[in-house]
Amino acid sequence: MRSGLMTLLLLSAALRCNGTSPPGKPVLVGCRSPDKETFTCWWKPGSDGGLPTVHHLYYEKDQSNRIFECPDYHSAGRNSCFFDKTHTTIWEEYHLTVMASNALGNTSSDPIKIDVMKILKPDAPENVTLWMKESDRSPYLHISWQRPHNTKIGSGWVTIKYQLRVKQENSEDWEYHNSGTETSFNRYNIEPGAVHMVQVRCTIDHSSWSEWSNTTFVKIPNYVENEKPSWILGSTLSLIPLLTTLCVLVMKRKSVKQWLLPPVPGPKIRGVDVQLLKNGRSEEVVNALNGLQNFPPTAVWMNQDEDYLIVSDSSEWLLSQPYSSEKRKKSLIIPAGFQLDSAIQCKESTPSDCQKAEDSKDKMDHLDTLLNSKPLGLTTEKQQCPSVNFVNKEAAVQHTAASENTIQPLANTGYVDIQRHEKMLEDYSRVSEVSGENILILEKENVPLGSDIPSWEENMPQDYSRVKEVNSDNMVFLQKHNESDDSLSKEKNNHSSEWSAQKPKKPHVTECSKGMCTELIGNGYVDSVPKFSVK
Amino acid sequence: MEKVWFAFLALVFLHFSMRAGTVPICPDRQAGCRVPSLADVFDRVIQQSSRMHGISSDLHSEFEHFFFPSKNVIGRRRCHTYGIITPDDKENAQRLGPEELTEVILRLLVAWSDPLLELHWSTSQDQNQDFNHQSYNNSLEITDMVHELRDGVEKMAERMKLEGVLSNTVGYISPDSLVPSSVFSFYTQEEFKPVDQHDLLYCFRRDASKVRNYLRVLKCTTLPELDC
Repeated sequence: MRSGLMTLLLLSAALRCNGTSPPGKPVLVGCRSPDKETFTCWWKPGSDGGLPTVHHLYYEKDQSNRIFECPDYHSAGRNSCFFDKTHTTIWEEYHLTVMASNALGNTSSDPIKIDVMKILKPDAPENVTLWMKESDRSPYLHISWQRPHNTKIGSGWVTIKYQLRVKQENSEDWEYHNSGTETSFNRYNIEPGAVHMVQVRCTIDHSSWSEWSNTTFVKIPNYVENEKPSWILGSTLSLIPLLTTLCVLVMKRKSVKQWLLPPVPGPKIRGVDVQLLKNGRSEEVVNALNGLQNFPPTAVWMNQDEDYLIVSDSSEWLLSQPYSSEKRKKSLIIPAGFQLDSAIQCKESTPSDCQKAEDSKDKMDHLDTLLNSKPLGLTTEKQQCPSVNFVNKEAAVQHTAASENTIQPLANTGYVDIQRHEKMLEDYSRVSEVSGENILILEKENVPLGSDIPSWEENMPQDYSRVKEVNSDNMVFLQKHNESDDSLSKEKNNHSSEWSAQKPKKPHVTECSKGMCTELIGNGYVDSVPKFSVK
Repeated sequence: MEKVWFAFLALVFLHFSMRAGTVPICPDRQAGCRVPSLADVFDRVIQQSSRMHGISSDLHSEFEHFFFPSKNVIGRRRCHTYGIITPDDKENAQRLGPEELTEVILRLLVAWSDPLLELHWSTSQDQNQDFNHQSYNNSLEITDMVHELRDGVEKMAERMKLEGVLSNTVGYISPDSLVPSSVFSFYTQEEFKPVDQHDLLYCFRRDASKVRNYLRVLKCTTLPELDC
């Protein structure tokens, strides 16, 4: 009972003494060696128990059993122990213990095992400087620093390796670079005008990394942009001639095309107008074609008027008026080939023959006459009584008929055969006989079309004169051709070569009547162009 | 067209001629190889030692991960190479001098050839399949690496002697002279248990780190201003 009261009094007395107690248990926080030659350890003290507490650090080494105490408590600050070079051994383990002691007691911390090679942690690199440099007209950032001041250079005892990181001020991610043992680094990918931040750290012998150095800032100037305008200017100047060349080519494309691809000349027919062909009017085409080749056009049957062609080679011959007036008709058409109806008109002196001729003449319905107002003179040697008169019926122009229709008598006349067109005749008179040299006897004969014509030509009497050529002055050159009678042929041939110089007035038919137009073509042909309608 | 062909041929010729500058370093000074400089030899050797140290660290951490999750196990470790006096800080290493430093390196490398073979053999026998597959590959690689590094350091020493940097006091180091004969039994008490394997791997990792550091100090002592 009393012992219990006594303990209660003691406890109360102890409580009244402000709660002093032995110190709390300290805790060793850790140790660190910055240079592999020294190291420092720190601890964290426990409660002091209300009394002044002193801490002591004791350590043991691996190879011996001695217990050492911390050589330096002050160099590294409070609650620390600094081991200098003489007390630091590498490759040996330290067993550290911290003991806190106060008036009431001692408290020891838990021991830790230290290997210096494992607590290496260097200080941060120093004096990080940034330089703007230029290489081949491109700028780069030259970053340099110094190793921590407490590591000695030259002994080879420590191997420091560096690492740096760069970022722009407004970006979030850092760019890490390993520098090895170099104390400088070049960064090439920098943006002008931006602020860059750089930090460096290091390691000793593959230990843990140091803290990052203080951030260094640099602002890149905007001088790189000056190169762009010169480049743009150069490219623009080179484009201008190119564009002008293109414009010129486009504007002159036709001439360029002609120069590049010259047109190939097409085929051309002489005398034929291509445009005429293209137009397609066959009438004109045929005209053109006919005009070219001087073909005698297709003869058109004319009216039944009889026309006479007076061929005389004597100047005495004079056609009587009634004949001329009677026979005077409109203009006649002589087809190509100068076909001449043999309308023989006899002189009054030989009425019988003349009558025959007149009869046969009446039957002629095809007019192939010479476009002469004056009869052609045919000079013959002999002038006999019945001279064949070819009345030039033409009286080409009616208004000129009065003046032009004078037919001069011919001294000598001969039968004129004009090569006729095939389609021509239906009815004509054939000379059956030539009496003497001046009288032609017509025989009636109907010559059918077409097929007979060649035979007619073959069977034609021997005594005939073929028109060889028409003079431009309305003179017909006859070619007397006689196969049977040599004498006659001779004479006729002689006749053919002579002409009386008669120059009749040259008629020029301009108007057409009844589908027939006569036209004198001045190239030696007596040509008549039929005007017929094409259906 | 001929000009183009000529230019092409010229480029091909230049390309092949320029490649002559990058002929690989020949190990036995064969004809046609480019003889490497002492600095190149140093760099090569240091690279090899760094690789070895990395693999040893991997081996050890794998082992610890599987068997010893707690990292604060305090235990007194003794490695079989404790007889080799090794400088344990920079001043002591610089105070040694190149010849002794080279000797230390060689001793360490020689001392680890056989135990690693044993380790390799023991990992193939172990029951734990998951661990052994990776450690089997690593132990095999480590064994080869130690051999190569030892040859490389010996050649380097020869080269240094030729160039007058190293005196001739460094002799051939026989494997039996400095290492306790019972090196194998050092680690094996009864069997090669995982605990022993753990100690072995720990020791090897530490010695690999020593070799690498000593080589670097040697390089920077004999050839200063070269990345030191």
